[in-house]
Amino acid sequence: MQESAYFKEYHPISGVWDEMYGDAGIRAHYTKVIEYLSRESSDDLTRKEELAKRLFMSQGITFTVYSSGEGIEKIFPFDIIPRIITADEWSFVEKGIKQRLRALNLFLKDIYDNQFIVKDGIVPIDIIYSCPHFLREMYKLQVPYNIYVHIAGIDLIRDHDGTFYVLEDNLRTPSGVSYMLENREITKRLFPDLLPQCGVRSVMEYPSILYKNLLSLSPRQISNPNIVLLSPGIYNSAYFEHTTLARLMGVELVEGRDLVVKDQKVYMKTTVGLQQVDVIYRRVDDEYLDPLVFNPSSILGVAGIMGAYRKGNVAIVNAIGNGVADDKAIYIYVPEMIKYYLGEEPLLKNVPTYQLGNEDERQYVFANINKMVVKKTNESGGYGMLMGHAASEEETEKYKKEILKAPRNFIAQPTISLSAAPCYIQGALHPRRIDLRPYALCGPDGIEIVPGGLTRVALKEGSLVVNSSQGGGSKDTWVLA
Amino acid sequence: MLSRVASSLYWLSRYVERSDGILRMLKINYASSQDTVQEFTWEPIIRIFAGHDEETAKLGNDSRAVIRYMVTGKSNPNSILNIITFARENARGVQEHITKDLWQCLNEYYHTVKDNRLENALKKDDPIGVLDVLIKQVMLYYGTVEITMERGEGRSFMNIGTYLERGIQSVDILDAKFVSIDDNPDLLRDTTYWKHLLLSLGGYEIYLKTYRTGFEAENVLEQVVLNNDFPRSVIYSVNHIQRYFERLKSDSNLDSSRELSFLIGRLQSHIRYSSVKTIEDEGLHTFLTQIRTQLFGIGDALNIHYFANS
Repeated sequence: MQESAYFKEYHPISGVWDEMYGDAGIRAHYTKVIEYLSRESSDDLTRKEELAKRLFMSQGITFTVYSSGEGIEKIFPFDIIPRIITADEWSFVEKGIKQRLRALNLFLKDIYDNQFIVKDGIVPIDIIYSCPHFLREMYKLQVPYNIYVHIAGIDLIRDHDGTFYVLEDNLRTPSGVSYMLENREITKRLFPDLLPQCGVRSVMEYPSILYKNLLSLSPRQISNPNIVLLSPGIYNSAYFEHTTLARLMGVELVEGRDLVVKDQKVYMKTTVGLQQVDVIYRRVDDEYLDPLVFNPSSILGVAGIMGAYRKGNVAIVNAIGNGVADDKAIYIYVPEMIKYYLGEEPLLKNVPTYQLGNEDERQYVFANINKMVVKKTNESGGYGMLMGHAASEEETEKYKKEILKAPRNFIAQPTISLSAAPCYIQGALHPRRIDLRPYALCGPDGIEIVPGGLTRVALKEGSLVVNSSQGGGSKDTWVLA
Repeated sequence: MLSRVASSLYWLSRYVERSDGILRMLKINYASSQDTVQEFTWEPIIRIFAGHDEETAKLGNDSRAVIRYMVTGKSNPNSILNIITFARENARGVQEHITKDLWQCLNEYYHTVKDNRLENALKKDDPIGVLDVLIKQVMLYYGTVEITMERGEGRSFMNIGTYLERGIQSVDILDAKFVSIDDNPDLLRDTTYWKHLLLSLGGYEIYLKTYRTGFEAENVLEQVVLNNDFPRSVIYSVNHIQRYFERLKSDSNLDSSRELSFLIGRLQSHIRYSSVKTIEDEGLHTFLTQIRTQLFGIGDALNIHYFANS
């Protein structure tokens, strides 16, 4: 096939799986896109890039950064070249995530009930009780259909040979799904006709599947239950996502101050009086949900909501206390959970992980710290990490001291060299590191995963950190039929 | 409709209407300050819209300084910059309840005020030109509301906010102007004085058509309080509050709506069954203070019964 100017200059990073470029040249599933792109000049692509920026800005798809008392609105960087996943790859990922979620759901049910997995010695008890997200308030609390994880975002990465690994399970309030939806809308505008030509599967079903699941959870058997999306409000960085999802599902967007609990039922304050709320899709963290039970200074939550939940008068999505299952120290045990609860071999692999509370493992990690990524177990968003290969000696020593204060709160993983995909940067294609977060929805009918997800990309050359707070961007993610 | 949503729509409208009132007042008063014939003072404007403190005392009678304080002053809670920021924040929280056009229109207004070029123009260019740019933004806003907004509960709350704010402003402006006469009785026969008052309320042309005898204080009073056809008269505002409130009535909030109906009806009758003569007998300042208190009372009652802020 003919290779145009962009690709003569494309140099895959050695020792890294390149999504587009294999040993035999451009991979088959990228050829149609490359043919399309090679008909465009780099001026055309730059214009498309500007169009994308304009579309994001004018639609207010922005997040606000506060500095010196003034809000500055920024867009989440978007790379116009799609990331493509083949049908085979997807079917494997889909099966793997479903398997993992089935096990994690059973784990939550078990850990907040009989704790068989602890009694059978699979997961040590101290790991559970030392986890700040394990909530005694959830003990023996009945949730509808025993579903705890209604919405999950599982972060996947690919090693040098293309093998998928699970980097993290996000089972609390995973965000970013609005970017999966909006990125696709932008791509439709940027590359007319390309999506149907390539046979890309649609992601549009996401809001309706979520709505269907929320509806099924209503404790009142009425034809039109009240479903609301609880947001921390306009100053939250994900507020755009909250309005988008509320609009797409046609549910009311509420804040904590709009709700009130009376007789262990949750009501919203409307201009015609109180109206009972049946299902709450909350985007407020556990800790802030009920000032009577958790953080007493929280004004984002609703006083008494935990009582209504315990009574079964309101359904809360995701369930409270899920953090015990996506804690980075518990993550180590997920493959064991799959074997224990399902009697199956795990399809998706874990990244090898060392628990620093463990003397031997800690010594090994300290000796090889240059090849390690050390993370705090209860932090996310790329905060509080040590990238061993990039850190100075001084930083490393300082971090080691911090680890020794509370080793349980740290894990270490060998530096995994995330796969790379082509990005359009300054007029040419360059490989940049990516991950993948598909969104899985669990309802009474089972687990459904919309074919797609959020591909995050580390736009800085050589960077391995894809988080938006650390200079990451995103790509439209195509799953081929 | 959520109480918070209703409240945000109501405040959004109040803020935009307030910005309109301030901008028009600034424009006409600036023009008036350029007429060297009469003694001009910014004092009433500062009293109504900003209040007296150390900072406003420093402004003195420097027109540019006053206008900059009123338009882009960060420390002035009633500056156009701050008002529009509040309006936009209210709108942001209810984006699913206003049209996209309206949201974009408010965004543009906000960005126009925040733009450094505006601040620079206020320093050296013709202030009237700058104020006109902003007044046009408000007119765009009202046009967009008129053309795109659904005629539902939300729009009724928006209109109630607009007319409540407008009524309060007309009362305040009138009161300030007549209070100044107490200090300086010559103003009573100063036609430019009344002309500027009418211009700042946009009532100059309608006055000329209604009264053929020149500018007299009593006629001005009649027009600004009692003229049903003058869109900035007090009675016009109250009639519209009543009209949009009627549309909110429903079976599920009888007690609340009865209380509001009572307050609005009482105020409406009070004004409707007044004449220039009874107002003068009662004392203008007393009359205006009463009307003002009652308008505020309606705002408080909405807060308690509809916005769940009790």
